[in-house]
Amino acid sequence: MNTKLKVSEISKIYPGCIANDRVSLEFGSGKIYALLGENGAGKSTLVKILSGVVKPDAGEVFLNNESIKLNSPLDAKKNNIGMVFQHFNLFETLSVFENLSIDSDKKDKELKVLVNDILKKYNFKIDLDIPVLNLSAGQKQKVEIIRCLIRNPKVLIMDEPTSVLTEQETDDLFISLKQFSKDGILIIYITHKLKEVLSLCDEVAVMRKGKVVSVSNTIDEKIESLANKMVGENLNTIKKKINNFKNNEEILKISNLNFKSDDPYETNLNNLNLSLKKGECLGIAGISGNGQNELFQILSGEIITEGTSIMFRNKEIGKLNPRERREYLMAFSPEDRISQAAVPELKIYENVALNNFKSSNFFEKGLVNEKKIKEHSKKILSNFSVNTDNVELKSQFLSGGNLQKLIIGRELITSPELLVCFNPTWGLDVGAINYIHETLIQINEQGKSSILISTDNDELLKLSDRICVIYKGKLSKIMNADTVTAEKLGILMGGGSID
Amino acid sequence: MSFDLNFIGILIGAIMASSVPLILAASGELITERSGVLNLGVEGMMIIGAISGFALMVVTDNLFFAVIGSMLSGLILSLIFGLLTQSLLTNHVATGLALTIFGIGMSAMIGKNFVGIPGKEFPLLFLNLKESTPFLGPIFFGHSIILYFAFGLPFLTNYFLKKTKTGLIIRAVGDSPSSASNQGINVKLVRYSCILYGGAMCGLAGAYLSLIYTPQWIENMTGGRGWIALALVVFATWSPIKVLIGALIFGGITISQLHMQAVGLRIPVQLLSALPYIMTIIVLVVISRDSRKIKLNTPTSLGQIFYKEK
Repeated sequence: MNTKLKVSEISKIYPGCIANDRVSLEFGSGKIYALLGENGAGKSTLVKILSGVVKPDAGEVFLNNESIKLNSPLDAKKNNIGMVFQHFNLFETLSVFENLSIDSDKKDKELKVLVNDILKKYNFKIDLDIPVLNLSAGQKQKVEIIRCLIRNPKVLIMDEPTSVLTEQETDDLFISLKQFSKDGILIIYITHKLKEVLSLCDEVAVMRKGKVVSVSNTIDEKIESLANKMVGENLNTIKKKINNFKNNEEILKISNLNFKSDDPYETNLNNLNLSLKKGECLGIAGISGNGQNELFQILSGEIITEGTSIMFRNKEIGKLNPRERREYLMAFSPEDRISQAAVPELKIYENVALNNFKSSNFFEKGLVNEKKIKEHSKKILSNFSVNTDNVELKSQFLSGGNLQKLIIGRELITSPELLVCFNPTWGLDVGAINYIHETLIQINEQGKSSILISTDNDELLKLSDRICVIYKGKLSKIMNADTVTAEKLGILMGGGSID
Repeated sequence: MSFDLNFIGILIGAIMASSVPLILAASGELITERSGVLNLGVEGMMIIGAISGFALMVVTDNLFFAVIGSMLSGLILSLIFGLLTQSLLTNHVATGLALTIFGIGMSAMIGKNFVGIPGKEFPLLFLNLKESTPFLGPIFFGHSIILYFAFGLPFLTNYFLKKTKTGLIIRAVGDSPSSASNQGINVKLVRYSCILYGGAMCGLAGAYLSLIYTPQWIENMTGGRGWIALALVVFATWSPIKVLIGALIFGGITISQLHMQAVGLRIPVQLLSALPYIMTIIVLVVISRDSRKIKLNTPTSLGQIFYKEK
């Protein structure tokens, strides 16, 4: 059956911001629709309205030409609108099947048959009896999708689904979504990743500042045209000049480093060797879960190793903790902004103070020198274009991009010799990504070194001087970036070998 | 002192009896905590159960009413806790502590008129089999119905949590109340129910003390058993069967060290009295070392206040 979904003149106003400004869009089954926009463009508000989480101030939603009321998530379910949120609504300690059955009125036996049919039909491989916390992000997302499929959805809304996925998982997801679309499910795909729009979707609606600014067929669009519509200005594409650092001074050397974990969910690292020159950016590619976490922690000092295994500017630092390493002018930007890099409940200046040095005099005789910290924080906010000057703001109210700018700024303002960052642009919008990339190139130009651990190959190719791949805890040969292509990386990331 | 079989049988029977209040209170608290609510008022609800049961027994001369009344009183106290923590969103820890202090004070006040009154004999089952079966008799027979119920309860609780839909919902709420709420589960209703159930079981544990175990009213007669029950739940990593094991070890060492004191071993009495606490914790820590299982059994949202976002 054909499904038609129409939103008409939807408006939603929050104090100080118009999230949706008379948004009107039409969708029909058989197609995949992209809803494209930067963070804060209003696309999340719109899908929250469609899934009954948020009530609009004005406007109507029509399903098959009938006006429907969406006052709660249950209403959306009743109208066969399924939604997979960016943050999963799963019960981590319950098994996959328990997660599915809690939401269903069916008997366990019937449900098991139904779920197994879905698994078979879409070629999903998930063990129904293991607890969700043992699943990868991609598998968790599949559980969420199955939860929607059980209810025979007419409309399936995916909110930035690939932000937590590896490339392989993303490919799998796209195959499934195309299959759902063929089976007559109307798919609305929310994203700020332009490539995905072009490779997956049939039509694209671009939102900016709460308004729909363009609706078009994706065949008529290019990455640049979409980027400009999304940001509303012309973006210059950044390309780094690759330098040869052979003769530069060596700043970091890791030799024959092994790490064996007691936790079965961690990856062991085997015989790690790498060296980094002054002013160089070393990119480390790989599918997530191949030892990047462990490598980052070894570099940052969260995992302590033998002293001699890591040499930084000719000093043995393997046994030093993160704080001692910072005193030696290393800086770190972890993957998880909210739980590792910053404390969201603390104010901006308090988060800045967490990264304190002997020389910074943030604390005097055990007391907090608030004035000094605040001045220092203000400097970071203005130097790194964080869009607030209020250092008293709780960090949780910063958007992902601004929080990342704050974190990178906090690390860089002390002019470290080495910055190690792990997925620094994860989940950010184009504008913020651009800014972070520019900053990372800048520090190399200033003669500082960086290690970029990332799962985003475009980013790695754009920023690195040399690249290697981590696979199952082992590093590949380190290659000059100008000899590396995305294909080569792909082969190495999958465990293959190249000459 | 003779170590014949019959004596060991009687000893085991005594150990079982002494662990009943712990099993009851801990099983109740386990359900409460599995829904994500940390109620530190166990001691308070137990002692209110003890005095209510005893007082009702004296006034009505009916043991059935006394037992039901003690459960109701535990339930009412836990309802206050529920109103405060679930509807008024107060802190679980502080509210639970207040509940215990309130319970102890209140029970002492009510209990003033009941000190020194002798208790009533509670009917024990299968008394003739207890006498006629050597060794096993004192273990399996001649107990009150509450003891049999208590020993079945951990198994029932285990089955309930693992195999029934309601059990699944309770675990889901304890894991992530916000996800549960998004799935259309009434988190408050689930948590209230679990709190009330926990309260009733603590009340029953109190009744066992004042009506059966030492049938009289003595001020502060729970003597910290509520706290032990709370500790059991945590150290048993929220597994009902391990709660049973822990309660038996605690009861076992309590009774054995009393015998050791009577024999006059040259170990300081204080050290012997501390033995049950130390040993129970050691044993439970040793049997619950599997970090994976701990993660799966621990209610992730324990003690967190939940409210629906608007």
